[in-house]
Amino acid sequence: MIVEETLVHDLKDKAKQAKAFEVLVNTYKERLYWHIRRIVLNHDDADDVLQNTFIKVYKNINGFKGDSQLFSWMYRIATNEALTFLKKKSNKLGISDAELQDRMVTNLQADVYFDGDEIQMKLQEAIARLPEKQKLVFNMKYFQELKYEEISSILNTSVGGLKASYHLAVKKLESFLKED
Amino acid sequence: MKTSKDNANFKTPEGYFEGFTDKLMDRISTQKDNQRDLLSSKSSGFLVPDAYFEGLNSKILKKLDQDETKVIPLNPRAKYLYYAAAIAALVLLTIGIRYTQSAEPTFESLAKTEIEDYFEHTASGFSTYEIAEVIPVDDLEISDVLENEFEDENIIDYLDNSLDDFEELNLTDYEY
Repeated sequence: MIVEETLVHDLKDKAKQAKAFEVLVNTYKERLYWHIRRIVLNHDDADDVLQNTFIKVYKNINGFKGDSQLFSWMYRIATNEALTFLKKKSNKLGISDAELQDRMVTNLQADVYFDGDEIQMKLQEAIARLPEKQKLVFNMKYFQELKYEEISSILNTSVGGLKASYHLAVKKLESFLKED
Repeated sequence: MKTSKDNANFKTPEGYFEGFTDKLMDRISTQKDNQRDLLSSKSSGFLVPDAYFEGLNSKILKKLDQDETKVIPLNPRAKYLYYAAAIAALVLLTIGIRYTQSAEPTFESLAKTEIEDYFEHTASGFSTYEIAEVIPVDDLEISDVLENEFEDENIIDYLDNSLDDFEELNLTDYEY
């Protein structure tokens, strides 16, 4: 994409860097925010991770070779930042990843930035129980409506593998939601 | 325009998109998939604080500045004290090691648990993806990960209990 190539070029040019970075942030902040928010659930955490993501992008843009799209590269950084953030959080609290997921969903009930109804709460509980990969794929496909090809370039997984993950995730969610 | 699966519950704080309209319209006209970008924020209950995105640029730039600005010490002489303390500590440590340990410590002499503890508790900042990138998977043997080798019998037992059907393994070249 020509616009993206120009943006990357400008980001590497000291004279145009500041303006280009502003354009970059404006263009991607909402998409990346919602991607991260789906992983960490809490707004303050999402804000932290989003800022760190953009700072990493800024500092590492010279290392971006253009082998993938800028969009995929940034999504990959955001995903890694969010997952690392959660890992550090569970280590800090001395609890397992599964316990942290449970706690995150429970905290949603008192979160002022969440006003989901009972069904949405139940859906979040169900999503929290999915394995990490299936959770990522489900969020990216269902909520963000990304194409399999896009998810494939972000997660470095084959389209076939992604379809299988999504299918499995949907099956598990259905059975969890039918339990009650 | 696609309809959101759960837009009945999706709320946007009042005035949230104010000031964004022009930028968003630009994006819609210049990028093919921007309509989907807007929909990516469908939240199924998730909200953001008022005007959060408007103030984000300056927050990030401020954080970048903080990262890049060097901290000037209040007492410049203090650093010489630190140097002196560091040298003294080093001398003491060297003497201590000479008297207490004859062989130099090596990577091999570290207990596995110490290495595991380091990665578990120091929040090294490496994600599993990053670690996976630097570990030469092709050179790894199963014995590098597992201390005791499995008996064939145990493996067969495990597969027998875990699989519904041996066919799943596609072991067409083997007899079983």
